[in-house]
Amino acid sequence: MTDTIKLLVAIGSDASLRYASPDELKCVLEQAQASVELTLAVELGNGAPLRVELCIQQVEQVPQMHAPGQGGEEEEADVPPPEQPKPDRPSPPPTKRGRSRRG
Amino acid sequence: MSDTIPFPSNVPGRGRLACVGLGMTLGSHLTPLARSHIAQADVVFAALSDAIAEEWLKSMHPDVRSLQPYYAEGKPRMRTYREWVALMMAELRAGKRVCGVFYGHPGIFAWSPHKVIEQARAEGYEAHMEPGISAEDCLYADLGFDPGRYGCQHFEASQLLYCERRIDPAGYLVLWQVGVVGNRSVGRLDTGPAYRALLVERLGQDYPPDHEVIIYRGATLPIERPRIRRIILRELAEVSLTAEETVVLPPAVTLQPNRAMLERLQVLDAKGQGVAAV
Repeated sequence: MTDTIKLLVAIGSDASLRYASPDELKCVLEQAQASVELTLAVELGNGAPLRVELCIQQVEQVPQMHAPGQGGEEEEADVPPPEQPKPDRPSPPPTKRGRSRRG
Repeated sequence: MSDTIPFPSNVPGRGRLACVGLGMTLGSHLTPLARSHIAQADVVFAALSDAIAEEWLKSMHPDVRSLQPYYAEGKPRMRTYREWVALMMAELRAGKRVCGVFYGHPGIFAWSPHKVIEQARAEGYEAHMEPGISAEDCLYADLGFDPGRYGCQHFEASQLLYCERRIDPAGYLVLWQVGVVGNRSVGRLDTGPAYRALLVERLGQDYPPDHEVIIYRGATLPIERPRIRRIILRELAEVSLTAEETVVLPPAVTLQPNRAMLERLQVLDAKGQGVAAV
């Protein structure tokens, strides 16, 4: 674990540090010889500099849930899809759909 | 009688599964039990919102496998989630103790933890979910409202467009995933103002156009503060919005007393007093 991650965990789990002002936190980080990037991240109030330091990209937080009726080739939904316009001529019976469940 | 009870979970070679939540804020929310599941696992799968959190997780276990690379541009997300389930099940069938680690609460807005637990149990494996602190939990703390006071409805925002739903404007309304509302194309991670304009139109059926709307994002790193923006409803279509931001509409009307029920309660109370007096 890098020192930066250790320091983040320490801040996240300490009641005094978690809600300390950026100035207070910077003093603590100075004493702990934190990286320039962590100090900058505290100043900015976001983790962008840390991603540079740790060589990691910001991952888009992708929701795992699809709303029912959203469609998609492999969707499982709680509700049937919206009704299609009725054809002029009778059409063959629909193919059996899988058991539906919310995605 | 034997002195020791052979718990199925301790049988060597018998896989077991736990899906746990890491909470929302790094270092702040992980429960002792979730941490124990991670430490005791043979293999840990991670679906986290922040790669920094993934780095933290790696400090807790030597074999952390990120599930993020299974996403791909244009690939149906449901296919990705099925792959996640298959990956976890494969290790389980190989007799491993598997831990799936998800951001927030593993059972909220998450398909694969529920699915893999269901599948594992169907195949006879011990499997369960450990709750984590969710974005919803953080929202109540950061915005300072109690869902118990006026009531609170939660919807995945697209549901309001796809389905007929009844909104109660006397309570709070929390809309999730507004940034991707109406997104029927599986590979995209956001939708534009035209999609949100439809949502605004739908909300306009229950709220005035100048009704307050709060846009909220909880802190995922302990050096961050929650992001809270206040706009009015008609501005919702045009503001920038990401998938992780949540939209909250405070109550628009006051609670109306249900006079018929109150009268019936009064009758019951009177009867009760009569019984008590006897």
